[in-house]
Amino acid sequence: MNESKSREKIVIRQNVENEDLSFVDGELLEIPIDEKPTAKKYTEISTEIETPKTKNENQKQKSYLQYVFLPLIFLTVALLGGLRISQTNEAFVFLKPPLVCLIFATIMLVLFFRSNLIKLDGWFSESFSTLKNVANAAILISLFAASTQTFNALLPERGLPFWTFAFCFFWTLWNNLFAEFDTKRLLQSLGGLFGLAFVVKYLILAGLTAPASESWIQGIFENPTQEAFTWLLDLPKFAPATGYIQFFTLGFYLIGLFLLKPEISEK
Amino acid sequence: MKEKQIQVLGIFLTAFYAIFIAWLYLVEPKSLEELPTKAQTTIENVTTKTQVAIGTYEVDQAKFSEGLKQFRAENFIVARDNFERADTEKRDAKTQFYIAYSFYRQGFGKISNDDALFKQGLEQTNRVISLDKNFKSDDANLQLKTPVELKNELEEGLKVTASDFNPLKILRERK
Repeated sequence: MNESKSREKIVIRQNVENEDLSFVDGELLEIPIDEKPTAKKYTEISTEIETPKTKNENQKQKSYLQYVFLPLIFLTVALLGGLRISQTNEAFVFLKPPLVCLIFATIMLVLFFRSNLIKLDGWFSESFSTLKNVANAAILISLFAASTQTFNALLPERGLPFWTFAFCFFWTLWNNLFAEFDTKRLLQSLGGLFGLAFVVKYLILAGLTAPASESWIQGIFENPTQEAFTWLLDLPKFAPATGYIQFFTLGFYLIGLFLLKPEISEK
Repeated sequence: MKEKQIQVLGIFLTAFYAIFIAWLYLVEPKSLEELPTKAQTTIENVTTKTQVAIGTYEVDQAKFSEGLKQFRAENFIVARDNFERADTEKRDAKTQFYIAYSFYRQGFGKISNDDALFKQGLEQTNRVISLDKNFKSDDANLQLKTPVELKNELEEGLKVTASDFNPLKILRERK
């Protein structure tokens, strides 16, 4: 660069209104050495004065996410996980989770700890205030409730499919307990497990379920195969809306897991 | 808002939302329209339980009076419904005695008694005895004043004896 013909000048503007001297905004202008800067040469890079997110503001946002939104997401999963819509009168059906769902959720939490998705000493510590420990416990309780209800959503309600699914879940989770894991692999494994269970329950089994008909005989004549499968597998008749609700429930749960932090650092 | 305030907010919101979810699964509303009704019922139940706990529980006198009116008009089903709503916690011996008596009067027959109603009456009478062993009704219209007498009458009515085949039995009067 020829220094005799041009010079670099940094035009500095200060945020006078906010009196925030820690942040300046400006742009580089290249003008001949004998020319005065004019308005034409002045090119605006950014029309808005950026307000920097200070460390405190970032911390506040993280706290809102961690202590307010995350439990709300998990509790929404807990609310929707047991909700079904009846096929006959489109009424809400609230199904309480069977005991096996609580066992699976407990194993899941152990897996979360083992794979360092949650570090126990990063969540609970003597050095933390009691309030912080309680708030962290509230998040974990909501996570447990959400895990329970996720299994409740994915397990068929009764009969042979219930026990088949329960066995598959148990087998997978039990094997995972003794496998070498990291967070990414665990989430991939859970994503695969839940995705497969969702497809089998809400697409395949729901497709085999006979639609509501006026009488048993009419049902046999109109949909003999579906009636046979419904009877053999003891499939409950729920409205298609149930599948949509459970799809979003599963989505919320995975979003919640994604937002979960291994440890909650001290401010 | 400071971090501690956010944590307190989080704890309260989580607790409130969790209680709401538990309540939903407990009352199982069939639709969104049913929610206010279920909430009202829950509030009434909680109020009654609190009254029992602190010893200020009282029978709803308006419903009791309506029940008594229906009982005297021999409309026993409506009478029982009113009595049950008047004493939701089943703690008032007088109200429970009227319920037991309504089973007796409804089940009484000159040729044969209604065994199902008499059995329900017997269970109800046992409840009155467990509430107040020495209960005595002050109603002049009732010939059976104590739960023991009523119990005896109901038990006799349930037994099949030779006297049941006595044709003069049709002349007996309801008490």
